[in-house]
Amino acid sequence: MSAAVTADTLRDALAGVLDPEYPVSLVDMGLIRSLAVEEGTAKVAVTFCSLGCPCTELIRDDIEERLLELPGIRAVEIEEVYEPWSRADITPRGLARLREVGVA
Amino acid sequence: MDDAELVERIGQGKLVEGPEHANERYVEGLKRTLIVSGDTELVSAPAYLRAAQHAPRMQSYISVVGIIQDELGHAHIAYRMLRDLGVDTDALIYEREPTDFRYPYAFDVPLDSWYEMVVANGFYDRAGFVLLSDIYEHTSYGPWKRALVKVDREETFHLRHGERWMRTLAQDPEHKTKLQAAVDWMFVMTLEWFGLPDDLKRHKEQLGFGLKGKSNDTLRQEWMSTAVPFCESIGIDVPAHLDKASGKYEIDMPFPLEFDEGEKRWLLEDGEITWDQVLTRWKRRGPSNEEFVAQLQAGYRDLRVGLAA
Repeated sequence: MSAAVTADTLRDALAGVLDPEYPVSLVDMGLIRSLAVEEGTAKVAVTFCSLGCPCTELIRDDIEERLLELPGIRAVEIEEVYEPWSRADITPRGLARLREVGVA
Repeated sequence: MDDAELVERIGQGKLVEGPEHANERYVEGLKRTLIVSGDTELVSAPAYLRAAQHAPRMQSYISVVGIIQDELGHAHIAYRMLRDLGVDTDALIYEREPTDFRYPYAFDVPLDSWYEMVVANGFYDRAGFVLLSDIYEHTSYGPWKRALVKVDREETFHLRHGERWMRTLAQDPEHKTKLQAAVDWMFVMTLEWFGLPDDLKRHKEQLGFGLKGKSNDTLRQEWMSTAVPFCESIGIDVPAHLDKASGKYEIDMPFPLEFDEGEKRWLLEDGEITWDQVLTRWKRRGPSNEEFVAQLQAGYRDLRVGLAA
């Protein structure tokens, strides 16, 4: 038996999924707004850096692909919440990485 | 500074930060390279905007418009560096004759469907990525090296956008046939993009001065080394394969060939042509050259007319 999949498991998995343009994870970018697991379904609330984000489909694909790799996850439901996003939502680790690649 | 002295400095890994660290031949070679880069990024905007009208969904349209915005930003970087080198960039961009633009001939052939749009992302943006990665790694011009960090990241997104769509379309038999038709002319078009084979190349200072690192043939190989396996992985045929013995990709058709712009078809039946014939076609420019450049220059012209009135 593998340990039960929790919201933390999802967060850890998404900490390895990079933004399509920058080498910073979706978690460190501050795009993941809530996570939950209900009977094998991962529920993800996501926002984007802007309303006109050109990468929304790529980001959705990447989240789904990664979470479906987790044992015990059979489905992924992604809700686009369009909460406002700003630089302040990037974690210190994310900001450090962005500075390294020269775009912070 | 004479050429030998400059080549030695560059060989020691010293970056050129401005014309005062180089000589006239270096600066002329740099300008020529930057103009090709700026023009290529710039003209991709009207080319992609024309194709975006075929986007199947609003979100796909937004993706292409996002890509166009990136490309305009990349063009701005190249032109800004040219301006810093004393070039009158208003004249360069807005007053040049369409046939004097220096972007690859590929962009003169209009993209007429969503299939061609996403293959452009998968092939042309991959070519841009290969060429700019080489410049990023090897250029001796400091300002360009630093500016390319952002460009590289954004081109990765364009390429992924192309691959994602090509993979999706290849899964449906009807879409796959149309995708294959786009690949059939655009694969060879991208091979041509990398220019003359090394033994015919004229501007040797690009390599000597470290304006770029790899030769045209090496870069063409590098492009095939990811484009060919990707197409094979989604069941799309391409006229090239890996020769296991040499570790190099071989083109499975006569190359270069003449191109029928109306039918978007390579004239296999006429056999291999010379690179001089290719250069003649490039200099003549293709069907959309005038339209795309006119689109880019329209606002400037209107503004001039308005100011004069």
